[in-house]
Amino acid sequence: MTKRNTPSTSKQVTLVMSAALCVCALILWEWLVRAKGISALVLPAPSSIALTLWQGLRSGYLWPHMLQTLAEWAAGLSLGCVLGFVGGLVLGEVALVRQIALPYIVTSQVVPKLALAPLFIVWFGFGALPTVVMTALICFFPLLENTMTAVSQADAQQLDLFRMLRASRWTTLVQLKLPQGLPTVLTGLRMAVVLAWVGAVVGEFTTASKGLGALIIAAQGSMDTALMFAVLVLITALGWVSYQACGVFERFVLRQTGFLKR
Amino acid sequence: MNPQTLEFSQVSFGFDDWPHVLLNASWHVPAGEFHCLLGRSGCGKTTLLKLAAGLLTPQSGQVLWHGVPVLQPMPDVGFVFQTPTLLHWLSVLDNVLLPIKLHRACTPQEQQRALDVLSQMGLAAMLHQRPSQLSGGQQSRVAIARALMTEPALLLMDEPFAALDALTREDLQTELRQWVTRLGTSVVFVTHDISEAVFLADHVAVMNQGCIAQDVQIQAPLRDKSWRYSPAFVQHCAALRDALDDVSMLA
Repeated sequence: MTKRNTPSTSKQVTLVMSAALCVCALILWEWLVRAKGISALVLPAPSSIALTLWQGLRSGYLWPHMLQTLAEWAAGLSLGCVLGFVGGLVLGEVALVRQIALPYIVTSQVVPKLALAPLFIVWFGFGALPTVVMTALICFFPLLENTMTAVSQADAQQLDLFRMLRASRWTTLVQLKLPQGLPTVLTGLRMAVVLAWVGAVVGEFTTASKGLGALIIAAQGSMDTALMFAVLVLITALGWVSYQACGVFERFVLRQTGFLKR
Repeated sequence: MNPQTLEFSQVSFGFDDWPHVLLNASWHVPAGEFHCLLGRSGCGKTTLLKLAAGLLTPQSGQVLWHGVPVLQPMPDVGFVFQTPTLLHWLSVLDNVLLPIKLHRACTPQEQQRALDVLSQMGLAAMLHQRPSQLSGGQQSRVAIARALMTEPALLLMDEPFAALDALTREDLQTELRQWVTRLGTSVVFVTHDISEAVFLADHVAVMNQGCIAQDVQIQAPLRDKSWRYSPAFVQHCAALRDALDDVSMLA
């Protein structure tokens, strides 16, 4: 008789295999750098990157940069989410506004953000503000798009129910369309959380003297490739933690609102 | 004409891609009676019900309720949809209280009434559960409880038991008939199930191609299990089956 794996066992096996793949890739990378004598300027060994990261964290050198980026990420994300959410509600509810404004909003997203950086310097100067604006500009779109979709595609029968109960437009929005569209809005938030890191780091590339993006540019200037990699690892870790935290928050909210079984 | 009557007068309605869903339909439902609309799929039953609800507006003719043209949903008219249409982020109790909570806070008397209605429907132990934790039959009961919460003078029901198994459907038919008889509510019930129509209705309107083709009166001593298995019940079913076939052939 064959024994079937339970879903949790299968998930654990997948996790172990995924971690094993990462370890194998790192070992291969380390071996390649040492065996072929590749210059640390071109490709530092993983051990060297880990050491640089550890020393940077232990000495406190990386912390101010990390906190700066974190603050800009949080501010940009908050601003982008508020704008995206409110904009999505208006665009989802008022067809005329949607038809007039949507082409311009899409245009704002297809313009390469890096190309806007010099303009932001002219408008907002150097420092945190242009980075926050860049972050907000990048991360507001998924929330806007998803909120708009959520409120404009409510279930027709439930809309009829609210009409029968003579609910006002505002009541229908708050008590039906928003709760029903919650999973779609939260998916937009999850995307925004990840994209906000792109905005913060890219913003710092051009307009900041402090922060992880600025540190990558500084490390490039001083030919410190290991530090560049160490900062990349740090940004990736921050991105992962924020994504996972958003996932936990999403599942909690969906469980509380009955979308997921407890 | 009794002002409590629901009256259809030469009502026509169509959609862009389906111009003649209803064609000069005339019909009336006196106060306190249970009427079924019976017909094949696509004959215009649901459209007629939505016109009565004020969810659609006639292109010609008039729908009158209390002698007043129905142009939008009326406060004393309830609607039960084909699916229970419960809000799954609310508890059972909050779903039943929804018609009130959408407009204002509930009074203790209204809370008590909701508890009483749910208790009569055998849902007293499930007040704080979510709809997803209920069976299909229980969800239908909650949907009916929500519609009865405001004690409507007219209840419109669009095949509310169509998705349920046969035994649950029979139970709910018996219970529904008892509830609306007790409250004196007029009911228009859409179905394509002949036995359901004969069991529930005082009158069955046979619909075909957007018109009321026949209105058949059903006289039953009691609406219980004995009625369902009586010879008269079977005769009514056979007569309605013939009526459906006749109107189809005529068309």
